[in-house]
Amino acid sequence: MAHQAHAYHMVDPSPWPLTGAVGALLMTSGLAIWFHFHSMTLMTLGLILLLLTMYQWWRDIIREGTFQGHHTPPVQKGLRYGMILFITSEVFFFLGFFWAFYHSSLAPTPELGGCWPPTGITTLDPFEVPLLNTAVLLASGVTVTWAHHSIMEGERKQTIQSLALTIILGLYFTALQAMEYYEAPFTIADGVYGSTFFVATGFHGLHVIIGSTFLAVCFLRQIQYHFTSEHHFGFEAAAWYWHFVDVVWLFLYVSIYWWGS
Amino acid sequence: MRLILRQTRAEEGSDISVLVLVRLPEPHDLKEKSFITMFRHLRTLQQFSRRTVSSSAPRQLENKVPGKQKIFQEDNGLPIHLKGGVTDALLYRATMALTVFGCGYVVYTLLDAALPKKKN
Repeated sequence: MAHQAHAYHMVDPSPWPLTGAVGALLMTSGLAIWFHFHSMTLMTLGLILLLLTMYQWWRDIIREGTFQGHHTPPVQKGLRYGMILFITSEVFFFLGFFWAFYHSSLAPTPELGGCWPPTGITTLDPFEVPLLNTAVLLASGVTVTWAHHSIMEGERKQTIQSLALTIILGLYFTALQAMEYYEAPFTIADGVYGSTFFVATGFHGLHVIIGSTFLAVCFLRQIQYHFTSEHHFGFEAAAWYWHFVDVVWLFLYVSIYWWGS
Repeated sequence: MRLILRQTRAEEGSDISVLVLVRLPEPHDLKEKSFITMFRHLRTLQQFSRRTVSSSAPRQLENKVPGKQKIFQEDNGLPIHLKGGVTDALLYRATMALTVFGCGYVVYTLLDAALPKKKN
């Protein structure tokens, strides 16, 4: 077997980029077919393919890093840059929805009654469930930081406990938000208020679910002894993502729930 | 006959306490007997769980990382996505089958949607 004379990682040929691309094609085309012809087959097939791709691709990365030792310091640096750039792109994604919200709410048109919230809209009380949600996410930020310090100090039991608590808080947020969606006195179809509210908070909720899943994977990896006190980048990436989700919520809460009510 | 050992509280200023053997009255009804049985079961469960669960949930797992490291560092020429064994190959084949089928299905569906249908 040829040995490399450098610290970088030349990955094995992999089928997952191809299956992922086809999965994305199937899911997006499937979405259009669902809208126009009421058939969910293509979209479901695309979703299954994407899930299979994600599972196997990330499984392979864990194998390359934890089992083969390919994640040397320079490689880890690259992974850090990658995660930071990805989160930055997500920041811009949310920026767009905040732009849409402020565009409509700073200069409300006559069709809305010239006011914000628009005439006829009963807003949610920002000091009820939304405030609880804020406390839940802030608390989860504390518990994930506790988990990180526990990993660095080699405290296995505390890491498991604090990670579990973080995930539970994430799930609690999701449950509360789902309940709010069900009970809300307005829908996505209720003018620009409904559109901006549900699209912005909806995408945020999706990111909470993604973040909780990422943390759950880290939880399983922690139980299986994958992380060491010096090397646990998978967890750090999950923690960064979780803090990002928390910050987005704070902006949502202040802008849409509080100022916008 | 039921006998239990009781330790009396030490007197203030004194560090002496006395062990006393006490004879308890027999349980005279079914309710009291079942309560005593339940209490005994609870104590047994408590002692059992203290011995078996040495840490909080989940229970301690064996560290399988060295084993996995050996499997994935074996010089067998297999790419990473197949190096784990038979399950890898099955999952890969299933994914690729869906990919190939999906390509064909999406082309068919989009063509069908795009081309006008002749009405009789």
